[in-house]
Amino acid sequence: MTTLIRGKARLLGDDINTDLHCSSKYHPGRDNTTVARHVFEQLSPGFAGRLSRGDVIVAGKNFGNNSSREQAVHILRLLGVGAIVAASFGRQFFRNCINNGLPVVECDVAGITENDEIELDLALGRVAVPARGFVRETPPLPAEVQALLAAGGLIPFLKAHPDWKTT
Amino acid sequence: MRVGATIAEKILGSHSGSRPAKAGDVVVARVDFAMLHDGRATNALKRIEELGAPRLPFAARTALVLDHYSPPPNAEAANIHREMRAFSDAHGTVLYDVGDGICHQVLPEGGHFTCGDLVAGTDTHSTTYGAFNAFGTGVEGTDLAAVMMTGRLWFRVPETIRVDLGGRLQPGVWAKDLTLAMLGRLGAEGANYKAIEYAGPAVAAMDIDDRMTLANHAAELGAKAALLEADAKTIAWLEARGAREPRPVKADADARYSERIEIDVARLPPQVARKHRIDDVVGAPEVTGQRIDYALIGTCTNGRLDDIRQAAAILKGRRIARGVRMIVTPASRNVYLQAAREGLIEALTQAGASVEAAGCGTCVNITGHLITGDGDVVISSANRNFKGRLGNANSEIFIGSAATVAASALTGHITDPRTVEGGDWRPTARAA
Repeated sequence: MTTLIRGKARLLGDDINTDLHCSSKYHPGRDNTTVARHVFEQLSPGFAGRLSRGDVIVAGKNFGNNSSREQAVHILRLLGVGAIVAASFGRQFFRNCINNGLPVVECDVAGITENDEIELDLALGRVAVPARGFVRETPPLPAEVQALLAAGGLIPFLKAHPDWKTT
Repeated sequence: MRVGATIAEKILGSHSGSRPAKAGDVVVARVDFAMLHDGRATNALKRIEELGAPRLPFAARTALVLDHYSPPPNAEAANIHREMRAFSDAHGTVLYDVGDGICHQVLPEGGHFTCGDLVAGTDTHSTTYGAFNAFGTGVEGTDLAAVMMTGRLWFRVPETIRVDLGGRLQPGVWAKDLTLAMLGRLGAEGANYKAIEYAGPAVAAMDIDDRMTLANHAAELGAKAALLEADAKTIAWLEARGAREPRPVKADADARYSERIEIDVARLPPQVARKHRIDDVVGAPEVTGQRIDYALIGTCTNGRLDDIRQAAAILKGRRIARGVRMIVTPASRNVYLQAAREGLIEALTQAGASVEAAGCGTCVNITGHLITGDGDVVISSANRNFKGRLGNANSEIFIGSAATVAASALTGHITDPRTVEGGDWRPTARAA
């Protein structure tokens, strides 16, 4: 199981309510592909255009707060976001990420800058920017959660393990 | 050495095998009952289809509730309802249709779960079930699909904040006011990821309706669950509704809490959350005089019988202020019927209020049946007051108890219910 993720850091701030910034509520009747083009544009115009597949979103506290809509995560997956590192997450958003196979790491993000080549080790619990010797330890994701992420989310996991045996 | 456990640790532990769970563990737990409402049905039904399970063995223990689009404002919403009814017929789920009531009211009323149970619902206010000593928590569509196929779901066992409530709320002061005071203190999402245990004499003195408000409104604190211990009132209430044999769960005396808060509630005045922020909270006397245009009573937080009784105690035989529009939405058909039997619907209608069919009602602009005008000021017993929640960012929503809303409707400005006749109403001992 690969637990090493590498990608370019894309910075966002604190208290980012995904409901406000990438929900279909503000693009009524549009499909996810259309909504995805506008992701976070109110905070950071052109964000979707700068994002490459595999990039890692680095955010402050309460990322995904006030939004339990799973669509917010579907859009980030569609854009190819490789992982999210944030000081803290909205509870349901955190669940939704794991359920949809999008790795999430809770970590103090001070010192990470835009365009840093970031490396995450989910099993060890480590966030690093090797080029600058930046390393921060985090509690590793529990094995049960790593298993869901490795499978690509809860639905593919259950297709492979209909009896939900994690070991 | 044995380490004490919280209610959350005990319930999640007993549902996930032999080892006791502790905060921070991730467990795959057996769920006792699940709920899906219309607001999340599109996503959930898509995820269920994607999962492609040959059977959904948990369907009989899942309720589909049509409450948010009640009544449906457009063809898309009406079609979601058609899809939900067809799904319910095909798989044999429980179904509560438009007009039956709000998910968090009809689940306990239907006797679908009991003390010590684990309940997963597609709504943040699923914390309500904790009023009955059940671990109720909000989930999303993928979670619901997993539960319907396997009867299980993964959970991270939350840390618990213990809140001991001493004293007894004054007449005219309610669990709503207490929660608003907590929001003022901890801030919205101040209990993010965590469970809250509410205990103490003030909780014991509360009737079930008020306890449901306490557990429900913990969602605004960001709580994953809000848990009360069961007592004779809880057990009598559940038994009267045909719930399974209760298995009450208590916290150990040496349970580990992430934080302990003690509040003496005896001197707490009615509280009001000011416009746009649920945690911008002041005592009602501080905002007295604020003009209002709308007075709204309802929602899963405060649309229950005791809320309607509070309003009727203030408004019976009187008339709301000129220019104020008052809407009352009972939380369920049962609440509506009992309010009718007690003459409360008549009293409120004569006073100038409009009483709507049961449902989520005026909580949020989903149905389009109440859109505020520019400059309109609303006082509501709902749970959220984000800018624009009632369809117009140029209007303002204040939040208070049903008693505060009714007292304000009477005078035309925000009013401390203790200053008007009937505002000191409180329930007397009665059968469950």
